[in-house]
Amino acid sequence: MFSTVLSATLRGLCVEFVHVEADTSNGLPVFHMVGYLSSEVKEAGERVKTAIRNSGMVIPAKKIVVNLSPANMRKKGTMFDLPIAVAILASLGEVNLQESEEMLMVGELSLDGRIRHVPGVLPIVMEAKKRGCKICIVPKENEKEAALVDGIQIIGVETLDEVCQILRGEKKMLQAEEEFKEVYGDAQKENSVDYSDVHGQKIAKRAAEIAVAGNHNLLMIGPPGAGKSMIAKRIPTILPPLTKEESMELSMIYSIVGELDEKMPLITTRPFREVHHAVTKSALIGGGHVPKPGEISLAHKGVLFLDEIAEFQKPVLELLRQPIEDHQIRILRERGEYLFPAEFLLVAAMNPCPCGNYPDRNKCMCTTTQIHKYLGKISQPLLDRIDLCVEVEKVNYEDLQGGLQEESSSAIRERVCRARVIQKERYQERGFLTNSQLSVKDMAEYCQLGKQEERLMRQAFEQMNLTARTYYKVLCVARTIADLEGEEDISLVHLKEALNYRMIDKKYWGRNEI
Amino acid sequence: MKYEYWFANIKGIGNKTKQQIRSRVKTAEELYNIEETALKKMEVPKETAHKILQSVKDWKLEAEYAKLTDRQVKFYTIFDESYPSGLKEISAPPYALYVKGELPQEEQMSVAIVGARECTTYGETMARQYAETLADAGVQIISGMARGIDGVSQKSALEAGGKSYAVLGSGVDLCYPREHYALYTRLQQQGGVISELPLGTQPLAQFFPARNRIISGLSDVVIVIEAKEKSGSLITADMALEQGKDVYALPGPCSSILSKGCHNLIRQGAGILLSPKELLEELGIFHKKKMENKTENKILLESPEKLVYSCLDFYPKSLNQILEESGLAISALMQIIINLELKGYMKEISKNYYVKVK
Repeated sequence: MFSTVLSATLRGLCVEFVHVEADTSNGLPVFHMVGYLSSEVKEAGERVKTAIRNSGMVIPAKKIVVNLSPANMRKKGTMFDLPIAVAILASLGEVNLQESEEMLMVGELSLDGRIRHVPGVLPIVMEAKKRGCKICIVPKENEKEAALVDGIQIIGVETLDEVCQILRGEKKMLQAEEEFKEVYGDAQKENSVDYSDVHGQKIAKRAAEIAVAGNHNLLMIGPPGAGKSMIAKRIPTILPPLTKEESMELSMIYSIVGELDEKMPLITTRPFREVHHAVTKSALIGGGHVPKPGEISLAHKGVLFLDEIAEFQKPVLELLRQPIEDHQIRILRERGEYLFPAEFLLVAAMNPCPCGNYPDRNKCMCTTTQIHKYLGKISQPLLDRIDLCVEVEKVNYEDLQGGLQEESSSAIRERVCRARVIQKERYQERGFLTNSQLSVKDMAEYCQLGKQEERLMRQAFEQMNLTARTYYKVLCVARTIADLEGEEDISLVHLKEALNYRMIDKKYWGRNEI
Repeated sequence: MKYEYWFANIKGIGNKTKQQIRSRVKTAEELYNIEETALKKMEVPKETAHKILQSVKDWKLEAEYAKLTDRQVKFYTIFDESYPSGLKEISAPPYALYVKGELPQEEQMSVAIVGARECTTYGETMARQYAETLADAGVQIISGMARGIDGVSQKSALEAGGKSYAVLGSGVDLCYPREHYALYTRLQQQGGVISELPLGTQPLAQFFPARNRIISGLSDVVIVIEAKEKSGSLITADMALEQGKDVYALPGPCSSILSKGCHNLIRQGAGILLSPKELLEELGIFHKKKMENKTENKILLESPEKLVYSCLDFYPKSLNQILEESGLAISALMQIIINLELKGYMKEISKNYYVKVK
């Protein structure tokens, strides 16, 4: 007898539906699995047979053929275990399958018949709903995640036996609870870190505020232990809250890599991803035979933090150039193109020299050449994509002990949100959201300067060795500072503050004046 | 001259021995054509004699000498009249000197300014002031063209229109460090680049202590701007003392390890540098008006700018420090920082670290 079960797999962020077909006929007792399977899917055969037996059912000595269609697409992953088992049982007449097109199932089987969780359930259920499915059978552990999708019945199951009972109509289908859907609002407040924990560091905090307000990438320079990571870690707390759509989008990405929390599957806070300098190319931008999202996609809508940026391998950093511009990453593989979203705020940190103590010559023993070379390690094109640069100094004891109440993240976030609204309104017709997206051409329109301001910029350009690029960055950052103040025109005050955050120039870094 | 050049380039024979052998004959050509027996008669040790004879065979007389002229390098031996008389008096005078540009003028006063490569802005600023003042008074500045103090003082001297001479630790046809190439070419026009090492000699660490004796030998006075407790500049100072020259050292804060070497020198009796003007007086140079006006430049600043300026130092201070000391708001402070920077009163030497320049 022939039977078919609907299942799905992932190709990058895309969901591909797969029909699992099984046929039992008389003949020599063999078990065949076809349909361009990778080895973990081939192994499913053994798991399925054992699981069926251990669930108290018998596989008769017949010829069994299983096909996963479309047969020209490579199948990977362990989510086919459950559909294969159900298809075989249906072909043997053990269970009834009606309206198989309206029911989708995924799940990995253990030998004793229990069902284990699989990655990517959220996007699969989402697509299933679009396709018109009515019921999704998912592992119990993925139940809450799947239930994030409205308008489709989700059934979380623990064992193969349970599935059979449900299909035979012996057990009622229980709709997954939706308790946590309400959680969304509360979770926002639950940030474990806050800017009020950071004592002193006024300038770095101000720079972080500007960076977030205009979505400018930020570079922090300072000795080890100065608190660069501490400041970076708190940047997500001053980013505007995630909208529901953004939250879903993020949860989908995390579902694919299997990093969703079982109990609280919805991502409600902006991600903060810290990348170690030994990161490989594919871990950073995504990769694999069938590519999975990398760190930059996991930092989507949040912060990507590169500590010790000078220690990164150059080719790895170069890969960041395109996603920073396009807010997405395109990975080309033999079997096609994969697009992952990657809209992140880049925050980088580095020491001023190999030992970290320059310009304190009492501590820093680095030679001028060493210092010069140290910065030289960072790729210029990447530096060109960073708008703000600020020094972070070691905190002193008074600051640590100081009873001064530091400003909280929510107060800063309020200012940031206000500035973001102004930007959104201004660029409504242009289709972008923040100042960081301004091109040189747009700047003539949106960053007009008065006579006095122009004189200042001319003077600064000539005396401070600004390049054309730093010049435009200063303008762009000044625009954001003006927006933070709620002012329409860029004034001297804004420009001068922006000049303080200008990018260091590799050419003059650590050099004596000669 | 090509014979002299050949003799100076024989490897493995010390300056003193060369000088002895050469003083026995009238011209180097005689040595070139000499028989082994004649050398024996002159009581030249066997090994040395062998080296001389061997090099006669190996040395391409014309071709090698052509290199010298091609590269416009002047060549002097200790027997030349133009060989600096000051150098002849030191304990181990170089047998030969290679010069691009010219040698220091004997009738003019020469002062060596030396110091650390990894210097502070304080050292840099002071080196510049002393070099400018001295150069302006017609003093020739001798140094080693190294990074840091050496380079800064030589550059300042040239910019002030004075003359400056660099003694290298490599062949005179090589520029080390590379980033001083502009200085290297300018020195050849407004002074000279000098070395005792044959053309093409790479700048190896072992050559540098020895070249310091030439720096002090060519100068009448040595001033040390910044030096750690163990520093090449102190070798120059020691050599100068041995050669009976005056040594001056610039004091700095006791906490700065880059001033420690200088402080030790002062304790040992070196002169103390208090201002360029006073140095000129001590050297007996009565110098014109121009410089004085320059140093007594009045600082014309508005009051909040003055406040920030008073927080600054020749040693780098961070924006955070200035923020705390001045008690200003971030935005207000940043305004003033940029104003002061544009007016040329201060400089950003590392990200958000500032030093005063005037």
